[in-house]
Amino acid sequence: MRWRDAIGLAAKGLRRRPGRAVLTILAVALASALLTALLTIAGTAETRVLNELAKGGPLAGIKVAAASPDPGQVDQDDARPGPPKDLDQAALDRIRALADVREVVPIVATRMLVVAPGTEKDGRPRQPYTDDVVGVDITRASMLPVTLVAGQLPEPTSLVEVAVTEGYLQRVGVNKPDAATVLGTQLELASIQGLRVTDDHVVPRGQWAKVEIVGVVAQEAGAGQILAPVEQVNRSLAWTKAGVTDDSSIPVPTSTYSGLFVVAEGIDNVGKVRQEITAVGYATSAPENLLASVQRYLKVVEIVLTSIGAIALVVAALGISNAMLAAVRERTREIGVMKAIGGRDRDIRRIFLVEAGVLGFVGGVLGAITGWLIARAVGGVVNGYLNEQGLASIQLALPVPVLLVTVIGATVLALLAGTLPAMRAARLPARDAVGAV
Amino acid sequence: MSGASISVQGLAHRYGRAAAALTVLDRLDIEVDGGGYVAITGASGAGKSTLLSVLGGLDAPQRGTVVIDENDLHDLSRNGLADYRRDTVGFVFQHFGLLDTLTAAENIELACSLDGMRPRARRSRARELLEAVGLLERRDHRPTALSGGERQRVAIARALANRPRLVLADEPTGNLDDGSTERVIELLESLPADHACTLVLVTHDRRLAARAQQRYELRGGRLHPSTKVTTEHATAIGDPEEPDAVA
Repeated sequence: MRWRDAIGLAAKGLRRRPGRAVLTILAVALASALLTALLTIAGTAETRVLNELAKGGPLAGIKVAAASPDPGQVDQDDARPGPPKDLDQAALDRIRALADVREVVPIVATRMLVVAPGTEKDGRPRQPYTDDVVGVDITRASMLPVTLVAGQLPEPTSLVEVAVTEGYLQRVGVNKPDAATVLGTQLELASIQGLRVTDDHVVPRGQWAKVEIVGVVAQEAGAGQILAPVEQVNRSLAWTKAGVTDDSSIPVPTSTYSGLFVVAEGIDNVGKVRQEITAVGYATSAPENLLASVQRYLKVVEIVLTSIGAIALVVAALGISNAMLAAVRERTREIGVMKAIGGRDRDIRRIFLVEAGVLGFVGGVLGAITGWLIARAVGGVVNGYLNEQGLASIQLALPVPVLLVTVIGATVLALLAGTLPAMRAARLPARDAVGAV
Repeated sequence: MSGASISVQGLAHRYGRAAAALTVLDRLDIEVDGGGYVAITGASGAGKSTLLSVLGGLDAPQRGTVVIDENDLHDLSRNGLADYRRDTVGFVFQHFGLLDTLTAAENIELACSLDGMRPRARRSRARELLEAVGLLERRDHRPTALSGGERQRVAIARALANRPRLVLADEPTGNLDDGSTERVIELLESLPADHACTLVLVTHDRRLAARAQQRYELRGGRLHPSTKVTTEHATAIGDPEEPDAVA
């Protein structure tokens, strides 16, 4: 007998007792839905928690400072920099060539004079202040610990667009939920250059430019409150370095890069890469120990949730076994007739296995869909709470692997549950099964 | 091509063990030429059904030899017996043995599907057989929508699905009224000639037994040439040449 014929017979067999088939499928669907929902929620929670810890950057990210390393730094998540040490192109190339390094993103920064728009609370115009403007390659922002809160990132080559951080919002008295209100406003930035007026007297002078705030970000790439395209910052640096460089009142960075952001090949390699960078001679920081601890706890939670879903699925599978055994008892004569007209044991076994598989597959598909919808509903409730707290929403991606595992798991369990009834049906003596011949 | 020849020598079969054992077949012998028509009568519990089971490969012979054409059933494995039932034997049951979830045509196609026949060929074969038993217009009806006689005709059609060389019928008219019985008897009688098979039937119906070429009574575990077919039984279905003939 062909599989196609067995499937047809199995379908007709299931339709013989539609109520029982529906109830059995419902049991599998409920268990599958539980498993899908729990795994989806657990997976989303894990992603969210780890992203929070990684500040939006890659989990395997390492910050490299323009400083010598402290000897015990690799045991710490926080940077423990020693004396300043220039990070130049040669150092970048050496680090990029290290084993298990996937990406190296250079970061530049320059001290600038900033004038924010608007007035102070007492009505006076805002006073200029100095701050570091952090320059990164915007096209590689996804590799950096930069999270967009509102608006958009500056155009990669723009000289007139910047993004600001939540620190800037605090400075201008804007609450985080109202971050969008600063979009479109203009900042005045001045690159500072030392100008020697006498042998022993240097005065600063500024090269002013107006830039537009196009986005608000949370960023850990550098220490400043303004994030700009690297070209914009490099121009400012060039202006600064063109002036007096040996006067302590006008600090001019000697390091080509203020830092690097290194992405290792997987979180498991972070420690190893940090050791290698330490050997090269630079201070590093990475939340690897914290991430590892949190991951361990999340893994335990995931195992517990998966176990709950799996137990429900096993109970449903026992239901399938029970239903199939009842079907075998009811259809003993039918089995005998099939054997009498030439059915082999394997034909009978195949029909009952297909019936069990269909119950599991249909239940698994329905359960996976239902579980996904449940997870979405839970996600909606969670997002409502997060929004009330002024936090970013969680994004529930379609968990294709979870859905596949659920459907395949339900089908395989159903096949296992159907094996005993199918074997029993197949081994029924033909004469006994057919009854009075 | 004619039907299957049957050669049974010293067949013994019993149920239970030791002191509780019940011997139903005891050194039974029978020879049937291919294309023959054999009727077996006997009291209830005499072993008629057991004999049919052994001939049909539903039960393996416990002792003795059973050779159907060239096949010694004693030598066949479980799968070998299944293949033998599928390729060589057609069963007709008293209880019809039709699957209620399938239509008349699908019941016939089921037998074909066990032989690996392709769907189109199966449909064609089912149509051909239903036409032969006069039930083509009922092909899409389920057994529950058919009368007893119609069900038995569908069962006969299914028995012929894989062109068997041996048809075994167990009380084929046992559940039928007189009108249906006559139709079914006519159909069965035509099988050896029309479908090149050997027909062995077990029956309590003397009218049916009277029409067979070979008639036996199973008694004491052995087959005895039958002598109890009465004239009125035989003439009830019409046997102009030998109305009271016995084997």
